[in-house]
This record gives sequence, C-alpha cells and structure tokens, in this order.
Amino acid sequence: MLADARLPTGAHAHSAGLEPAVLAGLLSPTPPPAARERSGHPGPGSIALSRPGGGGGEVTPGGVGRRRGEDVGRIPVLAATRLRTVTATEAGAAVVARHLWLDRRDLAPVEDAWAARTPSPAVRDAARRLGRGYLRLALTLWPDELAGAFAPGAAPPRPVVAGAIGAVTGLDALQVALLVGYDDVQTIASAALKLTPLDPATTTRWVLDLHPAVVAMARSVTHLTDPDDIPSAGAPMTDAWAQAHARTTRRLFHG
Amino acid sequence: MTRTRVALTADGRVELDGDVVRARRLPDEHGRTRVALVASQALLLAGDRVRIEVEVAAGRSLEIVEVTGTVAYDMRGGQATWLVDVRLAAGAVLVWPSLPFVVADGADVLRLTHVELAAGARAVLRETLVLGRTGETGGRVRTTVRARLDDRPLLVETFVAEPAAVVDPALLGGSRCLDTVLVLGARLEHPCALQLDGEGTMLRGMSVHAHDADLGDVLAAAVGVVAPVPLPAPRPAGDALLPAADPFPPPAASWDETATRPG
Repeated sequence: MLADARLPTGAHAHSAGLEPAVLAGLLSPTPPPAARERSGHPGPGSIALSRPGGGGGEVTPGGVGRRRGEDVGRIPVLAATRLRTVTATEAGAAVVARHLWLDRRDLAPVEDAWAARTPSPAVRDAARRLGRGYLRLALTLWPDELAGAFAPGAAPPRPVVAGAIGAVTGLDALQVALLVGYDDVQTIASAALKLTPLDPATTTRWVLDLHPAVVAMARSVTHLTDPDDIPSAGAPMTDAWAQAHARTTRRLFHG
Repeated sequence: MTRTRVALTADGRVELDGDVVRARRLPDEHGRTRVALVASQALLLAGDRVRIEVEVAAGRSLEIVEVTGTVAYDMRGGQATWLVDVRLAAGAVLVWPSLPFVVADGADVLRLTHVELAAGARAVLRETLVLGRTGETGGRVRTTVRARLDDRPLLVETFVAEPAAVVDPALLGGSRCLDTVLVLGARLEHPCALQLDGEGTMLRGMSVHAHDADLGDVLAAAVGVVAPVPLPAPRPAGDALLPAADPFPPPAASWDETATRPG
C-alpha cells in the first residue's frame, strides 16, 4: 500500500527522473544521447539539456511530440541504472532510518548522509517534497509511534520517512528496500504513460522484468545500519537533467 | 604502499616526504605556499598503492601543483589504488587542481579521496577522469570522494568510470571524460553548478573529447571564492587536457624541472 500510486502523498506528481531525461532527449532516435558531441559543459546555455540534433520536432510533456522512432526501450534501462545508483542510495537511507527508529534513535545523521550523497538540489527538493507528503500522512496514521522522529516543520526526504514508517509498521529491512526500489520503478513506468504514447501492458512488462534488479538492489542494502555505509554511487547525467528540468516551466512533473 | 606527505604547519613550515610521488616546494604565489608533486617513476601499474596525505594548519593556504597527468596502464588482471587524505584545520585553504587521470585499456583503479575540513576551511579540488588513451575505450576506475565539513558529511559520491558507463545515457551519456571541480567549505555561483546541501559546490563537465569538458574557466572562479587572490590564469585549456598525440600534458605552472615521467 505504501507504494500504491493512489496513496495520498503527491507521488503522482513525480516521475523519478524520467521527465527530465525525456526532455533532455533520452528517447530521441538519432543521434542518441550517447553520441552527442558535448554535454554537461557548464558554460552558460550549453548545459546537458542540449536538444538532440536532427529528427525534427521535440518530445514534449504529455507525449504529443514526436512518436515515430522514439526508443522507449531506454526507459527501463534508465530505471535499471537508477537502481544501481541513486535508488540504492535512497533504499540504503530508508533501511538505516528504519534501523535507527526501531530504537527511537536520532534520524538526523541519516538525512545528512543522504543529502551528502545527493549533490543535485533539484533531486533533493523533489525527495523532500515527497517526504512531506509521506510525513503528513504518516503522522496522521501513526502519531504516537512517530512522535519525536522529525522536528516540527522539518522536511525530511522520502526515504527517511519511509524507513521510519517501516519501523513502526513492522516491515523488515528487505521489505523497506523493496518498497523504495519498486516505488522508483513503478513511478517511472506510470510517468512513461503520460510522457509518451505506450500500451500500459508494455510498462507493466518493464516492471515485471525489472523485478530481479529490484530484489538484487534491495538485498545489497538490507544489512546496513550505519549512515556512513549508505551507497553513494551517482549518475552524473541524471543530476544534470534534473537541474535543467527544475528550471523549465514546460513540465508535468516535479521531478 | 608509497606514501607522500605534504604538511603546512602553523608557523608556515613545509614538511615534505615521499619517494615515488615526490613533493617539491615551489616559490610562494599570492600568499599561498606552493608544492609540486612529481612522479619519479612510471605510474600507475598493477599493485601500485599510492597514498598522498595533505595537511594544512589553521589559517594557512596551500596550493598543490601537479606537473604531469597520470596514466593508469594495463594491469592485466591486477589493480592499483590511489588514496588521497586531506586534513584542513580551521580556516585553512587548499587549492589542488589535479591534472587528468587517464585510465588506459586494462587498467583497474580504486581512487579514494577523503577530505576533512574543520570549520571555516575551504578547498578547491579537481578530478579529471579520461577513459582510454587515443584509440582506446579505456579501463575501469572506481572513484569515491568523501568530504566532511565541521564533522558532518558534506559530500559522498562514488562513480565507476568504465566503458559501460560511457554508453549509458544516464551515466556518462557518450562522454569518455568526466571533469569535476569541487568547491568545499564555500559556494561558487554558476548556472550549471550543483549546490550541495552543505556549504559546497560541484561542477561537472562531460564530453567525448577531454578538452571539450574543460572546466579551466570555472576553476579560476572556484579558486577565487576560496582564496583571497585567484590563480594567475587558468591553465592552457585544450593543450593540457588533450589526450591525443601526447598523453602527458606540459607543466601547468612555472616549474622548469623536466618532467621525469617515462613514456
């Protein structure tokens, strides 16, 4: 239920980095992002969001742009890369937060560790926005169990809130990690339906196919108890995409 | 394990130690003590374990000048490590614009950079990873930067640069060069900067050709925000990073001793 899109947390307004990627040309057929001559150069106006050359038309939010030739197969590939990098960080943070909150210990070191592993302010903002939604719901459902977990007015990121929820609802570490991993994959899959014309059965196939990768990621973080040990593998291009996305107004999702 | 130590003490003395990577004092500039790092033999080969320790006392400013880039050669199944351990006391400043680290085919390197900043300490660091020399696809380098400021985590970032990361749109997106400038303990305002949650800024350039990703212009600005006087000039942009004909860039500063790196 915690990973259900209908849970009133505002998660439907997020794409787990898919919209930033699509806007940056992830799906454009030629040249693929992998063949661009230049990207990420920090000179003004030449950031990683450079539009793919040739092909005509743009992929627009809502998927009303170019359809033909889009390589939608890159979407599950993106999800798999996230599982090995940024999503493993989130899952690790959730697992450690759960561990600490079982003993009602301070969660601030987990948030610090997560923030140090999340260099993009756009990504941090999105996670905190999601965390706020989770926290509001959780404090209504389990006010006593979560008393003191977060300072009033705090904006903890979603994984830390998810971990605390896991601690008070009896989820084990693997379940918490699976929740974070599955949520990321499912968020991408459902956002994909809004960003490009797809058969929902296709995205369901992706989620099924990604299941082993979700489990592998979850198993790799379940033993964690120390914030210092949370995985820190980054995905440089996704950070650049997220920053560029945060500056545009032509978007459907917060991040 | 080869160990190199550069320490700038509270009374301004410079303590240098090291065999394979030698440290040599340069004339001071802009109120900064300057020390050059010179490799005295071929680096980096299988089994090499390089450790460089840098310590700056409270309120002191140190600049480290690399004379050549580094090439990690084919290790034929072996591995090498490159550890950097930086400790900056309160108000200390470190400027260390590293030259490119080229990871040749068959190389497998673990790089760890630990930076401990006391309150008010500031640092500018650069890491330029280049996968492969001309005509190569490159080996593998796993790099982790772990920085703490005033006893709190500031940045923990790991990246595995390898050919698979080059073709992954979400990782390097076709680039075989990842250039990173870190400003720690201060912020650099720039449209494409990643502002860390704590006091710090990360700037990244990625490109197919090393020189396209050059952050030399950013580097000068970065030094400007941590040190009272900026670097005299950004080092020559393309030349220093060009991996083409000469993988060993020319000296970056007015250091006239011949680079001893063998080809």
